[in-house]
Amino acid sequence: MNIYLREMKAHRTGLIWWCIGMVGLVASGMAKYDAYQAAGVSVQEMMAGMPKAVLTVFGMTGFDLTKASGFYGVLFLYIGLMAAIHAALLGSHLVSKEERDRTSEFLYAKPVSRNHALTSKLLAGLTMLVIFNLATLLSSFYFVNLFGQGESVGADIRILMMGLFLMQLIFFTIGTAVAGVIRKPKAAPSIAMSIMFTAFLVSYLVNMSENLQFLKYLSPFKYYDAAVLMADGRLDPVYVALSVGIVALAVLGTYRFYSARDLSV
Amino acid sequence: MNVFLRELSAYRKSTIIWCASLSAILIVFMALYPAFTSDVAATKQVLGQFPEALRTALNISLSDFFTIYGFYGYLLNFAILAGAIQAMNLGTGIISKEVAGKTADFLLSKPMTRGRVVSAKLAAAFTIIVITNVVFCGVSYLAALMVATETFAIGTLLLLASTMFLVQLVFLALGALFAVLIPKIKSVIAVSMPAVFTLYIVGTLGDVLGNDKVRYMSPFKFYDTAYIIKNVGLEGKFIALEAAIIIVAIAASYVIYIKKDVRASA
Repeated sequence: MNIYLREMKAHRTGLIWWCIGMVGLVASGMAKYDAYQAAGVSVQEMMAGMPKAVLTVFGMTGFDLTKASGFYGVLFLYIGLMAAIHAALLGSHLVSKEERDRTSEFLYAKPVSRNHALTSKLLAGLTMLVIFNLATLLSSFYFVNLFGQGESVGADIRILMMGLFLMQLIFFTIGTAVAGVIRKPKAAPSIAMSIMFTAFLVSYLVNMSENLQFLKYLSPFKYYDAAVLMADGRLDPVYVALSVGIVALAVLGTYRFYSARDLSV
Repeated sequence: MNVFLRELSAYRKSTIIWCASLSAILIVFMALYPAFTSDVAATKQVLGQFPEALRTALNISLSDFFTIYGFYGYLLNFAILAGAIQAMNLGTGIISKEVAGKTADFLLSKPMTRGRVVSAKLAAAFTIIVITNVVFCGVSYLAALMVATETFAIGTLLLLASTMFLVQLVFLALGALFAVLIPKIKSVIAVSMPAVFTLYIVGTLGDVLGNDKVRYMSPFKFYDTAYIIKNVGLEGKFIALEAAIIIVAIAASYVIYIKKDVRASA
């Protein structure tokens, strides 16, 4: 419990800034929608016939930009990107920070096992992911309703936020697993970030070419594609199963490797 | 000179990894170019039916978009995003690592002014950025040679590639400024990633909406590829803006670092 509280406190300021950032992202994004609407630009019907490649370039595949929900769908890509950065950094920092700050000797001289410390850290991380998600969820509800002109978007936002949470879990546990395996504490966050960035690039590659569809399983950004989620109104069970599998494997890996390796002191 | 050489060798491995990753991004995307061009004719026909106003609003000029320049300009977005992370990491890390690594009192007790320390470190960072860009331009040219279906002007391509360098310089300067402003940086990447991606999202959302004012707020949008392809030149006002940002950020870094209370390691 001490370690849990200690971690919550250590990450408090950072988490507050992240939440402010997410509220700001949703608010400014939806405010732009308002301006866009006010300007009376109605390009939707003309866009319907646009080729996929061109729409991809502008990040607008499959959305009705005249509606607040469609606009929010475009925004969701960036919400997901920020959430992934937050989750991967959080996971890798939580596990690697004791070694980085040379406090692992202090921590493990206490009567706690590595598994116990790790469990506390993972729970603290999980709590922070939930807080992050709630901040995004509530600000999304508020701002989409504010600018939405009475359009009902509750269901869309709920499904997107469920997807977002699974995506956060994936990147969080990838972060912890990397930090659990890698012996150099400073390299762990960088490696977690490069995995995240590669996944981001792969999602664009998949959008660009029909021939690369098989790559979509490699990128969690594609598992929870806003256009698909909003059209189907539910999460794809294949991707949910895949996500749960990745998370389970990563958590298992974190425990196995972290409790078995030499800590660098 | 010692500090300069020390930093170059300290960053050697990371520079090699960055050059390799940037080249990989280039090559993977460029390899898609043939697939992308295969249905050009059909796409052009569809696009041609749109009213002129819409096409300009979306900033697509038909002739450019499917050329090697247009395609390269598109993938450049991602390469520049990665490059910005490198530059910001470098700028923040090279200044803040003495405090984080508890070597600040070792370095600053040497017979060397703080101003010179900063100069040597920034010169090293600048050199690393130059090296990265030389590699990047070279790989760009070779990749374009391999996939291009028609001959292309090397000047335009290299001018496009040079925007990477210009954007990296902005982020290098911003990174140095962040390093002296934030009191205790334990993890460089936790500072640089949110900063880079915030500016990236600001720029891209502005793009989706066709909002021109946003261009002044995000370094990613300073150099418009369509403009470069058309005019084979950069927009003067953005170069001036960039120069102003860099001068202010670097000057502020010097002033603050020279006066600041650097934490001793004890």
